[in-house]
Amino acid sequence: MPPQTNVPLPPGYQLDEYRIERQLSLGGFSIVYLAFDKEDTPVAIKEYLPNSLALRSEGDALPSIAEENVATFRYGMKCFFEEGRALAKISHPNVVRVLNFFRANETVYMVMHYERGRTLQEHIQKHRGEIRESFIRAIFARLLNGLREVHTHKLLHLDIKPSNIYLRNDGQPVLIDFGAARQTLSTDTPLLKPMYTPGFAAPEQYNNARRELLGPWTDIYSVGASMYACMAAAAPQAADQRVERDQLAPAVKRWPEKYSRQMLETVDWCMRLNYLERPQSVFALQKALADKDRSVPRITFLGGLRKRVKSLIK
Amino acid sequence: MKFTIYQESRPGKRPTNEDRIAYSYSRDALLMVVADGMGGHLHGEVAAQIAVQFITESFQREAHPQLKDPFLFLSAALTNAHHAILDYAADRLLPEAPRTTCVACIVQDSIAYWAHAGDSRLYALRGGRIIAQTRDHSRVQRMVEDGLITAEAAIHHPARNRIFSCLGGGNAPQIDFSKKTPLMTGDVILLCSDGVWGPLPADVIPRALSTGNVVQATPALLNQAEARGGDNADNLSMIAIRWEDNYAEDTLGSVSTKTMPVDSFTTQMEAFAKARKGAQPLPNLSDEDIERAIQEINSAIRKFSK
Repeated sequence: MPPQTNVPLPPGYQLDEYRIERQLSLGGFSIVYLAFDKEDTPVAIKEYLPNSLALRSEGDALPSIAEENVATFRYGMKCFFEEGRALAKISHPNVVRVLNFFRANETVYMVMHYERGRTLQEHIQKHRGEIRESFIRAIFARLLNGLREVHTHKLLHLDIKPSNIYLRNDGQPVLIDFGAARQTLSTDTPLLKPMYTPGFAAPEQYNNARRELLGPWTDIYSVGASMYACMAAAAPQAADQRVERDQLAPAVKRWPEKYSRQMLETVDWCMRLNYLERPQSVFALQKALADKDRSVPRITFLGGLRKRVKSLIK
Repeated sequence: MKFTIYQESRPGKRPTNEDRIAYSYSRDALLMVVADGMGGHLHGEVAAQIAVQFITESFQREAHPQLKDPFLFLSAALTNAHHAILDYAADRLLPEAPRTTCVACIVQDSIAYWAHAGDSRLYALRGGRIIAQTRDHSRVQRMVEDGLITAEAAIHHPARNRIFSCLGGGNAPQIDFSKKTPLMTGDVILLCSDGVWGPLPADVIPRALSTGNVVQATPALLNQAEARGGDNADNLSMIAIRWEDNYAEDTLGSVSTKTMPVDSFTTQMEAFAKARKGAQPLPNLSDEDIERAIQEINSAIRKFSK
């Protein structure tokens, strides 16, 4: 039975000290609103409201939760807290900032800094196949600064993908939605099935991910897949399918004319199925992306000739 | 949608070409159809022409830019083409309705769907291997498949050209449908009349198309089949595509909204529900636990925002 859709709080609704402006997104697990605080500063508010457990009808603020779902509803709240805990400790320009956490309407709310801009996913859709290398390098170099900060706190994002990379109007990328993030060191959540997005999740995230295999390299796979998506304007083949039958054309083979070899090799490096063969830290990947020694994407006729002459002389 | 397509039809050594072929595509859907009008019946080429034209026109009417239900489309299009042939015969007071085989294939969202009546064939090839093919509505061919007679014996079998399903004719056609077949980059779909597959040994077709170069392989196969057909070579027709998209990639790209973060959470909740039924009881989160968690988070926010 497909779960029903939740009705969002109406515009103008006074939620704690915030005034709801409109709904930004609605999903199976939560609703995100644009709202204004007392100083009329815009904020994004995420409401924990899994529609399989709690349903809000038109005109109500309180969701109705069936008796048998109460325990599960509360248990799911723990994930929501984990996202909050994860983000609260991180204050970085490239990571979404949590401002407040509160309880209302029998559920919980997370208030985040509202950024004007759009997601990388929207950017890709708008500029299909025309995304330049300099853009990719610039965006991901900055994003990786944020991811490094996340990893420093012994956290993994585990759901990096273009729709979770927000591009502020000033060009700064911001990593959003840490709903999948778990403290890697805590092991008290065996009931939680790790979540992932096909095409962007690393192979080790599939099939009841073996926790001990997850690491920075897991997020790095997703970063590579996101860069690949910038070039392909589509999600790459899902890793679980690749493990069975790898049909992902390496970036090096697909776009030799369009991007430098070093850039393409870096993408392919991130997307290696064996996690040991990927960059093992964000820093290693940043170094590759910052590498100034880029080979020329196109071998010109004269250049090719010169090379051949050279090899003859040798 | 990206693909390479090649089609060709030749009379062979026959005075007329009673095969008809066509393809048509919109932005998001592709149709291919081969019909082999049956000699020995009146107006074989008319039946083939009606079938191909009728199915193509239906496609152009309904694929805007995709078909709602490709199998439903194929079912309706082939059945209605059958009736259109009967109507034609009735209008002209023909003593017998003309007949034709028919195989039609739809590709959309990188998934192939096909249906056929008779012994015109469709092969789906991947890396030089057959991943799916139609089963002829031919008793002799079924006998070969069942191991009752050998393939060599079938070539000379007196009933080798008899088929038990076709469009037109006195009986309602038996139309068989494929499974939904997801395509990968480099997959080849090939439709052909029996003038092509008949004279060729079984492994020739997949081998010839293993490179995926349909533009070269199609005429080469037709040459080979025509040569082997000798002085009595039948009409030969073939349409082949090489698919250039990837099922996984294509669908994920086009349904980008489905990969939005919020949807993934739904999966997670299903896991909760499952866990709830399991042996392990959920740790209870009391009001105090919730308050404590919120306080903890808020103090962390204050601490780290400085």
